[in-house]
Amino acid sequence: MKNAGSAVAGFFAAIGHFFGDFFTAIAKGDWAVKLTLLIWGAGYARRKQYVKAIVLTALEVGVICFSVFFASQYVPKFGTLGTVVMEQQLNMQTLKMEFNDYDHSFLILLFSLFSFVVWLIAAVVWIRSVTGAYRLQLDAEAGRHINTFKDDVHDYLGDKFYVTLLTLPIIGIVVFTVIPILLLIFVAFTNYDQQHMPPSALFTWVGFTNFKSLFSSGGMTVTFGYAFVRVLGWTLVWAFFATFTTYFGGILMSLLLNSKKTRAPRLWRTLLVITIAVPQFVSLLLVRNFFSNGGIVNTICARIGLTGWLRSMGLISTSYIPFLTAPGWAHVMIILINIWIGVPYQMLIATGILMNLPADQLESARVDGANKFQTFRYITMPYMLQVTAPTLVTDFVKNINNFNVIYLLTDGVYTTTNQLMANSQAKEVDLLVTWLFNLTQNYYNYKMAAVIGIMVFIVCAVFTLVAFNFLIRGDKEGVYQ
Amino acid sequence: MKDKKIGGIVSHNLLIAVLCVIWLIPIVWLVCMSFSAAPNMNTSTFFPTEWSAKYYVQLFHSDTVNQFKAWFMNTFKIAIFTCIICTCFTLMVAYATSFGKFKARKPLMNVAVMLNLFPGVLTMIAVYFTLRTFNLTNSHIGLILVYSASSGLGYLICKGFFDTVPRALCEAARLDGCNEARIFAQIVIPTSRPIIVYTIISSFLTPWMDFVFAKMILNAGISENYTVAVGLYKMLDKSLINSYFTIFCCGGILVSVPIAILFFIMQKFYVEGITAGAVKG
Amino acid sequence: MKKLLSLVLALTMVLSLGAIAFADGPIALTVWGAEEDQTYLAERIEAFKAAYPDQEFDITLGVESESTAKDTILTDVEAAADVYAFASDQLPDLVNAGAILDLSTVEEALKSVAGKSLDDIKAANVEGSITAATYNDTFYAFPFASDGFFMFYDPDYISEEDAQTWEGLLDAAAAAGKKVGMTLASGWYNTAFFNAAGFSTSLNADGTTNMDWNGTSPDGYTGVQVVQAMQAIAGHDAFMAIADGDISNQIAGGDLAAVISGTWDTALVSDTFGEDYMACALPLLTLGEDQVPTRGTVSFKMIGVNPYAENAGWAVMLAEFLTNEESQVARFEAREIPPTNIAASESEAVQANKGVVGLTEAAAVGVVQSVGGKYWDPTASFGEQIAQGTIGTDEASIQTALDQLVEGVTAAVG
Repeated sequence: MKNAGSAVAGFFAAIGHFFGDFFTAIAKGDWAVKLTLLIWGAGYARRKQYVKAIVLTALEVGVICFSVFFASQYVPKFGTLGTVVMEQQLNMQTLKMEFNDYDHSFLILLFSLFSFVVWLIAAVVWIRSVTGAYRLQLDAEAGRHINTFKDDVHDYLGDKFYVTLLTLPIIGIVVFTVIPILLLIFVAFTNYDQQHMPPSALFTWVGFTNFKSLFSSGGMTVTFGYAFVRVLGWTLVWAFFATFTTYFGGILMSLLLNSKKTRAPRLWRTLLVITIAVPQFVSLLLVRNFFSNGGIVNTICARIGLTGWLRSMGLISTSYIPFLTAPGWAHVMIILINIWIGVPYQMLIATGILMNLPADQLESARVDGANKFQTFRYITMPYMLQVTAPTLVTDFVKNINNFNVIYLLTDGVYTTTNQLMANSQAKEVDLLVTWLFNLTQNYYNYKMAAVIGIMVFIVCAVFTLVAFNFLIRGDKEGVYQ
Repeated sequence: MKDKKIGGIVSHNLLIAVLCVIWLIPIVWLVCMSFSAAPNMNTSTFFPTEWSAKYYVQLFHSDTVNQFKAWFMNTFKIAIFTCIICTCFTLMVAYATSFGKFKARKPLMNVAVMLNLFPGVLTMIAVYFTLRTFNLTNSHIGLILVYSASSGLGYLICKGFFDTVPRALCEAARLDGCNEARIFAQIVIPTSRPIIVYTIISSFLTPWMDFVFAKMILNAGISENYTVAVGLYKMLDKSLINSYFTIFCCGGILVSVPIAILFFIMQKFYVEGITAGAVKG
Repeated sequence: MKKLLSLVLALTMVLSLGAIAFADGPIALTVWGAEEDQTYLAERIEAFKAAYPDQEFDITLGVESESTAKDTILTDVEAAADVYAFASDQLPDLVNAGAILDLSTVEEALKSVAGKSLDDIKAANVEGSITAATYNDTFYAFPFASDGFFMFYDPDYISEEDAQTWEGLLDAAAAAGKKVGMTLASGWYNTAFFNAAGFSTSLNADGTTNMDWNGTSPDGYTGVQVVQAMQAIAGHDAFMAIADGDISNQIAGGDLAAVISGTWDTALVSDTFGEDYMACALPLLTLGEDQVPTRGTVSFKMIGVNPYAENAGWAVMLAEFLTNEESQVARFEAREIPPTNIAASESEAVQANKGVVGLTEAAAVGVVQSVGGKYWDPTASFGEQIAQGTIGTDEASIQTALDQLVEGVTAAVG
């Protein structure tokens, strides 16, 4: 917690510094620095850094054009998310449809966010160009060397190489991840649902209403709260089992394969790796048909009398074994099938790590007369855990968001028998992500999906924080350098 | 004593064999089904009642549903470009975060961790509309962007690997007057073959595996534009599964074979890369 | 006077015809149809171009299954096809999302170019299909195919007599060691039992559904009675509850002696049951002392026009053309899909088709379903509960289950 505190303090100190420099520059800068406030390249042109000046001014023109021609259409409507409803009429002469200049709430929201991000970046560039111009002025006054364009290029391949490297990837991340996530957060505060679908209808801000309806359970069964708690519960159970079964399964499998007793270990490993090579949508869709109610496994079970036996034991009430169609059965099957696809992968990782297992430790354990289990318990596992703890945490988060396995195995196959969950369009086997996917794809309930998405984030964030603070102490980064 | 030992070895290998059989049953079933002479799924016997390779032939004769050749080429094209961009981005970010010394490094890494916690499926609709604004839906460029633009976020394993590259080597180079760009290109990249192979394979595979984004972005219903995943997924549509299940199996096999070969060739690097990265990542 | 009036009328006709300006460049249109229809649609599009030689067209044909059309269209209406085929149960959602054109707004254009009024179209198709294409008293789409379910059975195991009632059917199948298959976990199928008792559903303007299955029907049966009858059927040894969409697989599996399905399975049934297979309405259901017909759902496939289509006028012409008598006949010849066009369905080939006969028999007692989006998940779950036997057989638990069902179905949209 102390770390977090100092990080926050450091953050604000940095911001204070940033603006402090800016105001100093304005106060003490010469005319060129002050002109930089208006024309971003001015200060640089004065010091003969023409390329930089042109680039910055061009950027400024770009931002202005963007604001005038693009942002101005959307940002002013951000407060209401649009007021003009679509109207249309067929032109009888051309047989073309003619529309009024209607508002599209979703695009208003998306492009407003886009504009805000552009402006934020522009503001940073603007402030930095002013402080940069002032620094140049100081350099010139002190008679220090002023970078030529060539020097600048040199800098960006040298000390500032990280800027060169990070620019494109960060732009990609901002456009394709940051803005969409911001949008999702904002949608949670609107009434964007099937009744308010752009372009034919508008949606608008509703404050915290959606969060309230998630947690309210005022005697009504048709609330999301009921389904939410159950889906969340299964999500956590699933993430726990999916992570640890494949993790330990992978270690055991790799120990088994790497044992001295194993003949032809490469052959076995290759056979197991084939299961990774088949794309998941093929292997999972296949397995789902394999275990379907009228599928081949059921036929075989019925033939050997297993189905009848289970029926007589009262374990099933149907004429087939509901591998993927009844709660309990489906939960167990999903975890088993996940072991099937996950273990070979973890086996590969464990094999690699165990190759690095310090041989002297194993040797001394053997000398001390430790049996296999003790070696595993006191040497192999602690080593593995120490090395892989961070990946365990990220695997857990990945499993919370593991869309593919659940969706491919249960979509269109599993029908819930819990009426209350069905009333909220949820199923017992749904993870939060598959539930929200279903809400957006089939019910266009974007507002509730967004709320659930934020909840997923909170669950993951809490888990990650706790795990990193309690399980993995210290920062290992420096150790290997 | 010796008998016991041999018995131990036999039972040990038998156990492995049993496990391998369990793991391979569905795959064997897939192969068997693909050689079935019937177009639909066989639910009464494990092996097809009649064997035939005719659906492999049919897979390559396009009809209104099945355009496998086109799908394969599309996916291949997308995969190549995705692979190039992803690999570059990942290496760039990993190098900057591992070797770079700048104030914003830690905060940026924390932000990256946070961004990874949001469910990707929900951001899909925003990504879709962003692409539509630039008229990039129903285009392979759009899909390439979707798969690769955010790839910088997956830098962690690669950074873990870079952290193990001896710093002394870089220092020496720096003293010789090398700038960062040359250190990156001439020292770090050549010593990082395993992690590069790992990154290349995993990014090359993304377009073959994903169907959610592809289905959303290729929404004009033009079958020739699909990727393999979307096309094969649609074959299992309720109205088609009976006439296309076997073809689906053939397609599944044909997609898996190149991936499997890729895996076997690169297996060593793959294991080295991911473990080295995971250990320190 | 009369002469003068007709002269004026004729003159305005000519004038309004002349008012349409044929565009110079090609008119771009996009069409979505089912995968199985692609070849047929491509041919009909060529025929459309031939029918309007004065205008150049650039028509793109895409694949979108009728059953999932709504999902793709509503994600982004503006990018969806101009003309698309869909299943009638999606109409309310399409209308509420503003994704389908109110045909009355283009009737003038339709009259002047295709020479047909909406009344002509309504008169040309069977009444049920027009009801299904109408929502809130507005006519939205051109129907082209009937799409209900009925019963197929194998006369080797089941006599015509047995097929009259559920009890007879199930006992005969049990005696032969065979099964009777039906999907219970879908509100499209399981509503048949409630319809049998006289229950119905209706749709409000805001997209919510009215349902009173937890009460007493106008015919005097209670929902509890219906569920008990369903439980008796589902609990029978010879009954096989089949997952939605798995029916074709199960028919091919060969364990069935009778199955509730539709014309899409005709060819498969003919292969499995033999060419002497029979198709008829669903058996009679026993409710208390009475035997009542099981009233299946009557649905339709139709073609709608996207209101965001740039060339909406020509899109309507194409939609009309793809559903006219000639097109429906061609579709029947290509795919054995029963037409909604009255003239087309009177042809001998259609009348002789066993699937059509079964569908017609079922439709005679069937009900046109009118439900909103919140109907499907709760009813699917309810059917699954009956299939798996998780609802108790006592009246109190059935009543609770029904109350919860109704609560879910009638919930507000959003």
